[in-house]
Amino acid sequence: MNPDSRQIQLNWVDPTTKEQQKLRLKLPIAIGRELSKMPSTIHGDRVSRLVLESTQVSRFHALILFEQGQLVVTNQSQSGTFINGISVNRGVLNHGDQLQMGNYAIAVTFVASSLETDSVISFHPDTDLPEPEVQRKTVTATSDFPPAIFQSQQISVRDLYATNLPVYQIDYVAIGAGLGSFIWVDFLRIFGVKVRQIVAIGLEKQPYARYQRLCLNSQIPLHERLRSNSDSCPDNIWGWPSYAIREAWRDFYKGKINSALQYLWQVFAEPTLAETYTPRAGNVFDSIDREAKRIGWHQIFRYGRVRAIRKTDDERYAIAYSCSSSNHRDRAIVLARYVHLATGYPAIQFLPDLQKYREKTQDFKSVVNAYEQHEHVYKHLERYGGTVLIRGRGIVASRIVQRIYEVRQRNRNIFVLHLMRSPKSQGNKFDAAQRQVENHYEFQPFNWPKACWGGELRAILENASPQQRQQFLKDWGGTTTAARSDWRRIVQEGISQGWYQITFGEVERVEREQQNTITYIKGKDLQGQIKLQADFIIDATGLEAKAKSNPLLDDLVTHYNLPLNHLGRLAVAHDFEITEMRSGKGRMYAAGAITLGGPYAAVDSFLGLQYAALRSADSLAAVRAPGMHRLNCFCSFSQWCKWITNQSPV
Amino acid sequence: MTPTLLGRWQTRLLLLATIGAFVTSPFALGYLRPEASFSFFWVLGYVAIFGIAWDIVYDYLQKFRWDRDWPGVLQLLAGIWEAAFLAVILKIFHLPGIPQETSLFWFALHYSLVWLSVYISAQVIMRILFLRWRFHGGQWL
Repeated sequence: MNPDSRQIQLNWVDPTTKEQQKLRLKLPIAIGRELSKMPSTIHGDRVSRLVLESTQVSRFHALILFEQGQLVVTNQSQSGTFINGISVNRGVLNHGDQLQMGNYAIAVTFVASSLETDSVISFHPDTDLPEPEVQRKTVTATSDFPPAIFQSQQISVRDLYATNLPVYQIDYVAIGAGLGSFIWVDFLRIFGVKVRQIVAIGLEKQPYARYQRLCLNSQIPLHERLRSNSDSCPDNIWGWPSYAIREAWRDFYKGKINSALQYLWQVFAEPTLAETYTPRAGNVFDSIDREAKRIGWHQIFRYGRVRAIRKTDDERYAIAYSCSSSNHRDRAIVLARYVHLATGYPAIQFLPDLQKYREKTQDFKSVVNAYEQHEHVYKHLERYGGTVLIRGRGIVASRIVQRIYEVRQRNRNIFVLHLMRSPKSQGNKFDAAQRQVENHYEFQPFNWPKACWGGELRAILENASPQQRQQFLKDWGGTTTAARSDWRRIVQEGISQGWYQITFGEVERVEREQQNTITYIKGKDLQGQIKLQADFIIDATGLEAKAKSNPLLDDLVTHYNLPLNHLGRLAVAHDFEITEMRSGKGRMYAAGAITLGGPYAAVDSFLGLQYAALRSADSLAAVRAPGMHRLNCFCSFSQWCKWITNQSPV
Repeated sequence: MTPTLLGRWQTRLLLLATIGAFVTSPFALGYLRPEASFSFFWVLGYVAIFGIAWDIVYDYLQKFRWDRDWPGVLQLLAGIWEAAFLAVILKIFHLPGIPQETSLFWFALHYSLVWLSVYISAQVIMRILFLRWRFHGGQWL
């Protein structure tokens, strides 16, 4: 290390958002949970204090000093500080070392990395397909639409009509028209609102279109199972009959008594004595089709892309949307008093080094994101064999390993390198409980501990302060996969047969050399460098949901100066209202991934969307929004009877 | 299920007072046995009263589970444990309202039917009647 600079770079993955964090800090450095507990100066030098929000990190956890030409870390915590997995009280840090504190694994670099850009793959604004070449900012190109009056904070309705654009008036508007919108509309319909009072604006008619595409790309064909609970039914607000009961019933009817009994046993004993039941993707989509028909979704859906939303002078919202197709330009305004935002994940996260590789080589075939269509990878492997490098260790990585295993049954000449940033020997801890770990995969049936949906953890999070929420989300979050016995067997088998190998390290860069990708990993010292050669690299690190990545939300946040939470998502109240957007009687709600970091953890799940929809529906019923009636026991029962007999709710 | 302590108490009391009482009636009125006996209602009462204390224990144990859940199979084990405890107390000590010579067969039959109907109602009826029940850890109030 160059002693003059006295700076090091720390890289880690945030346990909640899974986003990469990068910080260059001047020595000495103190790390801990509470700023006030860490020293501000040492021997007259100002200390750089790094706060890590997690209860697994002590208030003052570790100190990094420059002593006699080397970097020395001193542990200050009872739970210990680890260098490359070894517990140290006082240890020397080298370039490329992994520093572990609680659930954080921090890579230490003496030479700063040149990768600074935030890289994502956007969804195409018109087709909604993942488009690696589309630059995010190009979609907000200025034009004559939305009209100039949209520059003010509040629009007069008279001015709106003066624009000569078609203006429609309606009570409720759902923006996005994906699963979040569908579930909200389902609640509105069951609470008494009529079809003609609601409009859902989006790009695709089927509410699950984008979700299904991402499932298929990330290797969940229709017969495979989603990572979702039996009673998380986007088609049924009561969760009964659950998917397990429906599947058991169907199998029983077909004479498959054993599998029917197995599903029932699974939901009775999961996760303790049986593997968690999860529904087949195809069954979930079919059930949504049935419910969409029952509630009149196809009359409610309107094709279009929302460009801007503004408050009006009559306590409503003006929503400017374009519904242009290739042969004609069409724009319109909808005026509504109640608006719901569920625009989903704005983009797919893409590892910066892979983004750089693509920009440099224009090779979009060998380096892919798991959520992009990448069937050619498996076809190539099946025919010619080869090596695949997988990045990320969540549920998507598990599915890809499974798919490769299946392909491998037809061609034995396939090898998998699974590159992880750091070893994982211990699972996250919270109070008296700890998460299970096997082969560096951390297991959890769903993406949050179960009690986040409707148990004790839900209540704890809702009642917590924003500061505490940050900590809880870190403690409960992180990258996990399901403890499916087939996946565990595949990994075990792969390791023992040698075709599946787990490697750890911080990627420096990815290059193309003679038909192969070469991943360079930082070595322990400045000279050392590990090279990983692979035919394909699959990035399975996830989706991105910062409000600023979505042009519509970005415009709304900037225009009305809306507060964002610590994860950069929309700040919402307990009932999911964006309170700063209140316009007299008008109310605006949000749901889904764009609200993570607020009062509820499991926002991007079927059941979480239902929870959000229920909370906003209850608050709309409380303010006597048109058509809305709070569902008491009797109404709930009569609505359920309509559901089971497939009759329209109103 | 991911019940909270308050949810456990509310669901237990409501279901024992309704479904539990409904299942107990034929036993108490003598439709299933030669003689009528009000002691079955006393059993129901003890299940409720002791259960309030047991629920505190279960809630404590639940905190050791990462998912903070309480699957059906643990509900079954808890049910068996509560029945065994009650049977021992009944036989060794005298509990007001229940004669010490009560037949264990009839006790077990009545208790099992009550447990089963309460379990099924919690899975089905509570969800259908109380939309918010499953999001509030079993609280219906």
